[in-house]
Amino acid sequence: MTNPSRRPDAAPPPDHAAVRAREALSRKWSYLLSSVIVVALSRDELDAELGGQLDALCAALHSEPFDPAPFEEVGERLVALGYVNEPGLRRTVDVLGKGLLALEEFQEIEHFPVRVVGGLGALAAGFSLARGRSILDQQESMQRSLLKAARDAQWDQRQSEAKFAGIAISSTNGILIVGLDGRIVWANEAIGEIIGGRPEPGVRLMELIAPNSVVAFREMMEKVLAERDEFEREPIQLLRGEDDLAKVTLTASLLRDGDDKPSHVLVVADDATELALLQGELRRQSLHDVLTGLPNRQFFTTHLETVLRRADPEFGVTVFHLDLDAFGLVCNSLGGRVGDKLLQHVARRLRALMSHEQAMVARFDGDEFGIVVENTEATPDIATIMAAINTDLAEPIFVDEHGLAVSVSAGVVHRPSPDVEPTELMRMADLALRQAKKDQRGQWELFHSNQDTERRRDHALAVVMPGAWEQGDIGVCYQPVRVLATGELAGVEAVLHWDLSDRCAELADQTGLILPMGEWLIRIATGQAQWWRQRGELDAQFGVRLTRHQATDADLVSRVAKVLEETGMPPELLTLTMPVGVLSVAGAAENLSTLADTGIRIALDDFGLGPRDLAWLSELPIASVCVPKDLVQRQDPRSATLVKAVHDLGVNLCVDGVETAEQAKWWTEAGADLAIGAHFGAPEAAGDLLKKLQG
Amino acid sequence: MTKLVRLPPIATKTEEVLPVAETQDWVPLGIDTTVPSMARVYDYILGGAHNFAADRQVGSQIEKLVPGLPSVARLNRRFLGRAVNFLMDQGVRQFLDIGSGIPTVANVHEVAQDRDPAARIVYVDKDPVAVAHSQLMLSGNDNAAIVQADMRDPEAVLASPDVRQLLRFDEPIGLLMLLMLHWVPDEDSPEKLVAHYRDALPAGSFIVMTHVAKDQIDEKVDQAADVVNRSKSADQMHMRTHEQVSALFDGFELVEPGLVGCGEWRPDGPGDFADEASMNMFLYAGVGRKG
Repeated sequence: MTNPSRRPDAAPPPDHAAVRAREALSRKWSYLLSSVIVVALSRDELDAELGGQLDALCAALHSEPFDPAPFEEVGERLVALGYVNEPGLRRTVDVLGKGLLALEEFQEIEHFPVRVVGGLGALAAGFSLARGRSILDQQESMQRSLLKAARDAQWDQRQSEAKFAGIAISSTNGILIVGLDGRIVWANEAIGEIIGGRPEPGVRLMELIAPNSVVAFREMMEKVLAERDEFEREPIQLLRGEDDLAKVTLTASLLRDGDDKPSHVLVVADDATELALLQGELRRQSLHDVLTGLPNRQFFTTHLETVLRRADPEFGVTVFHLDLDAFGLVCNSLGGRVGDKLLQHVARRLRALMSHEQAMVARFDGDEFGIVVENTEATPDIATIMAAINTDLAEPIFVDEHGLAVSVSAGVVHRPSPDVEPTELMRMADLALRQAKKDQRGQWELFHSNQDTERRRDHALAVVMPGAWEQGDIGVCYQPVRVLATGELAGVEAVLHWDLSDRCAELADQTGLILPMGEWLIRIATGQAQWWRQRGELDAQFGVRLTRHQATDADLVSRVAKVLEETGMPPELLTLTMPVGVLSVAGAAENLSTLADTGIRIALDDFGLGPRDLAWLSELPIASVCVPKDLVQRQDPRSATLVKAVHDLGVNLCVDGVETAEQAKWWTEAGADLAIGAHFGAPEAAGDLLKKLQG
Repeated sequence: MTKLVRLPPIATKTEEVLPVAETQDWVPLGIDTTVPSMARVYDYILGGAHNFAADRQVGSQIEKLVPGLPSVARLNRRFLGRAVNFLMDQGVRQFLDIGSGIPTVANVHEVAQDRDPAARIVYVDKDPVAVAHSQLMLSGNDNAAIVQADMRDPEAVLASPDVRQLLRFDEPIGLLMLLMLHWVPDEDSPEKLVAHYRDALPAGSFIVMTHVAKDQIDEKVDQAADVVNRSKSADQMHMRTHEQVSALFDGFELVEPGLVGCGEWRPDGPGDFADEASMNMFLYAGVGRKG
């Protein structure tokens, strides 16, 4: 094969054993292909062809940095061999997927599996694109042949009707013979299918043309009569019945009589719909998501490769990894079909919103979408784009009478280096997304390289955490919950404390250690509460926050019951708080209801940004909600509406992370009931807190 | 790939019908847009896109009944390649391919002229679209041509200017009739038809034939034939037994290994036969030499 010019020199010169191993693999490839493909090559020629292709692929795998383009080219090359088709692609991916990694030369280094997967994806993408083109070419050549057959038959009314019928019966194309006066002499049945009724002889062809195509049609006919070319071809709209249009491509050419004088015009109408359907079908099969019609993850990744290379270095590209908030909730409560409709809606809106940009919108898996924008001077900044998306999606759509409004969270990678590999870029965007989801819904987070560092640090901490807990390095601290208006003590909240990290519960949640550790936290906190109460030192409501993992734990209810029994804590004095986002996950809402039935007060935190947050309050026995720190500090005027809505449902509202008097004042005026935060007292050891409260 | 011309008379709902009595083969098709062409159905089954919706519909209907059909079409194509190479080995440099259909991949002229650019090929088909397609493909190739004619009219085929110009009847000719003769019903005497061509060929010429086999046929294949026969196509399929197909080689001496399953005729490599034995036996294939 013709080797791609950017063949890297980095490939190690293969030794004899490696050469033999490659030969064995390419022969196997050839053997497996030969029973499903139709090509003009002999067995030896096919062996040689595939041997060359395999060498190109191996060189690409060795190249630094890895460039999957040769894989894509091999995919295209396979199509060019003949009728290779989907079975050929399937066998190719199968034999190379197993065979490449089995080659000794690719066994040493751990990045080869990733490259092989990426490479085969590129191969499939190249194959699909080339196959789509090939099919359209073949169809186009059939249209040409049909036109030629019709012209060759020549029109002589007395003798040629039979000839024309012979052509017309094999055609789904409309065929018209038109006199030089513009009146139809003869029409086949297929034109009737296209325009909804066979035109009568004598009708002027112009009467079939839609008003917006009249000018183009007239110009085309002038060219035909002037015989500028052998034939003229033009997309034209025809009238179909009273108020419908049919999109066709008209091909027209002049016919001559026996004396070589112009006598008629032959007009062939290709119904563009069939071609378009075929084209659409092909692309959908391999590169597009069937539900939404958007490009899929594979297409997106391949496309990233291209845009990274061609992007304007001044503005670069921006990659968004979007995730619908509370999508699981929609599916759980309203069914998968409603969820599907919602995804289709979001797909349409995203595409519309990005239509002014050079951008690709793709659907990944489930409720995740991707956007890559090739930035220009005019591209809005990330905050503007995200705000536009969330504003648009906040407009409810109605599916089966359910008004659905959604928000999306996003991980964003802005202007990555053009050298970054697409898979790495996707990982970065995913990481940023998870960061964004941690905080709030409807948020976005830019990828920073220090996130990576932070994540590695998290991993390191998570590893040592069980040991730290066992040795007593992780303890429990207490912070006051106060009535905003008066500053009175409303309760005490117990939190995990570790000198090495202020995200102790979060890390423990990620590893699963939170299940025993969280139970332990409740035991210590309720034990402390009982101790203070029995000594008459403090009689207050005690609160503990549950993580996502705990909230969905099937044993949550029995763990809590066991602890309360051990400590003797009256359930009505305990408040357990769940993140509102977890309620859509199976089990959480049931846990919540059961705990409430035992008398425990239930609160929700991270409250206020999800579109369905309020709805939970009327469905579940919630005593109070806690608005998170970033919303508290933002002091958005709309929050006052939120407070009122919460109060209307008979629920208290607590604000978290209040650090200044000014914030406290703002929220007091907004009507919030309770507050937590440095301004009202930071977490402290039990003894220290008691001293302060008494002092 | 072609089939017999049964051109329908022009008879539409609004126009006058020609006298029916004179056209024995009258098929009340009128001018119908939904008539599949076997040439294009074959292309579809091979994996091509040189076809229209009506062809794909029949093709996929048959495929459903006989899931191995793409491999039968492929085996027939592979056999064609081996047979042409065999004839080249025997010194044959001119070919008459009757029912050549839609030119796809590995056509006779590609195989033959790849070995000897001076090899001459005349294709024959009755389908005007297949003919137009072939003409476009062959333009610029002085040693290959296509004739639009009905195989059942040997005089017209043999007397056509292209045949007269390109083929010399004093040196061996390879006559190719692949997947053709099962479109000819017994009452039209396929033996006589083949004999007519045979008599025109000089000694040392060859005939290459594939034909749908009746002996191996199970119910599904019968149903598949039914799909074709009930489609609006003018072509009707007539399967024949080993004995009946052998009779079509009258006047020719079958070369080794005789009339066998298509996959069993001198296979050259793994692509030449199917994994499933019944598919190899779906078609009879044979090459005969005129003494």
